[in-house]
Amino acid sequence: MTTARTGRPALRLLTAPEYEHAAPAPLVAFCSHCGARPAHPPAPASSSRVCAACGLGLILESRADVAPKAGDAFLVLDRSLAVCALSRGAERLLAALEPNAVNRHVTDLLMPADAEEPDGTSLSTAVAWAARGDGVTRTSVVRPANTFGIRLTARISSCGPPRAALVVLD
Amino acid sequence: MRYLKTSEAAALLNVSPNTLRAWERRFGFPKPQRSPGKHRLFTHGEVAALRDALQEGLSISSAISRAREGLAADANSLVGALVSYERERADAAIEAALALRSVERSVEEVLLPTLDEIARRYSVDSAAWAFAAHWAGDWLRRANRLTPPPVRQTSVVIGDASRDELDRDAPYIHALQLFLVRAGVRVLSLSARGVAGIGDAAAVHRPNLVVVAGGHLDDDTVARWAYAIRLAVGAMPLAIYRRGSERPRVRATGTTVLPPGAGDAQRTLLELLESDQVVASPAAELRQARAARGGR
Repeated sequence: MTTARTGRPALRLLTAPEYEHAAPAPLVAFCSHCGARPAHPPAPASSSRVCAACGLGLILESRADVAPKAGDAFLVLDRSLAVCALSRGAERLLAALEPNAVNRHVTDLLMPADAEEPDGTSLSTAVAWAARGDGVTRTSVVRPANTFGIRLTARISSCGPPRAALVVLD
Repeated sequence: MRYLKTSEAAALLNVSPNTLRAWERRFGFPKPQRSPGKHRLFTHGEVAALRDALQEGLSISSAISRAREGLAADANSLVGALVSYERERADAAIEAALALRSVERSVEEVLLPTLDEIARRYSVDSAAWAFAAHWAGDWLRRANRLTPPPVRQTSVVIGDASRDELDRDAPYIHALQLFLVRAGVRVLSLSARGVAGIGDAAAVHRPNLVVVAGGHLDDDTVARWAYAIRLAVGAMPLAIYRRGSERPRVRATGTTVLPPGAGDAQRTLLELLESDQVVASPAAELRQARAARGGR
């Protein structure tokens, strides 16, 4: 490789393709209870974030590639790993009602199910990082706390406002 | 105390009235009272607390939990004031509770749970309990005095079978009396110990219903008292309140056992007073007869 000005050979710093940052996915809004995506997200000036579809959840935002769809089972957790929201799908899947689950520790509902998980992918670590809003999506294998023999893949990423961790169960 | 109709509360929260009713069903919050016409009346404090919590919430449940925590702070501050023997701080704490709730709910959700907590933590033989029980008795009597005169033509005699003001049942009995008076019922509270002169008192008051409240006095004493009332004004329904579930009951036909909560007991008594079981008030009959004579 030569420079255009001098014609002399020179080195240039290149970024490996796997480290190149793709354009960040756009943010989409979804209801914290039914998962429905509102056609018109509430304006910042609006004082109501209540879902117009079900009336039982607040409108949150997350990246489009990780946001849940209507009917998905998902949880919203804060940085202390306490449950802040439980979707209707998660209520069915985990046999728990949101009003009873709120403020309980995540391990009351979900337990890590990977026998040998790689470093940094444990459920608690992933949730803690996501709740800080690091923008990375991690996966972890979990099971319902009171059930053995079922393994679910948890997609863990950030959502908000306020900043929190979104755990979508696939 | 400022109350909001469903539409006003919904407008403040920027949701539909149906959504607000759905929250009441699912979360039990905000918890409305009922107007005389059975319409929902929300306290402004609860709705405002929820509105603020919704701004920062991740779900309706977490916002409601946060709003409830804010409201529960009143009970904690009252406990703190009473165990520190600070009367002014205790007055301020109950005033703060009254800013967000009705008198009935302030008593049921703040005052009585506070006393239960102090009794549980320090026992009823402690100085903390003595101070708290005296303060609560004073406060409930003051609230009773400030209540407007009765509007219903029904009256109740309460036979107080508690030991004294330091009895754990005493605040509940005072609270039931306050709730009945605030519901417009004429209430005469007498000690269930003595029967001397009770006939005169009962004949003047002409009760529709008798309540025996408290578990300290034995059944024989209470039965003598109830018999004296019965001799003075004839047979009438009897209800018992906080006599203890394990205690053998005075045998009496048609005795109603009231639920232990003062609010629940008041509601049961009001239903009883409105039912066919309770005969028309002798006092009302007397008034009607006088009115008829005056009209002629």
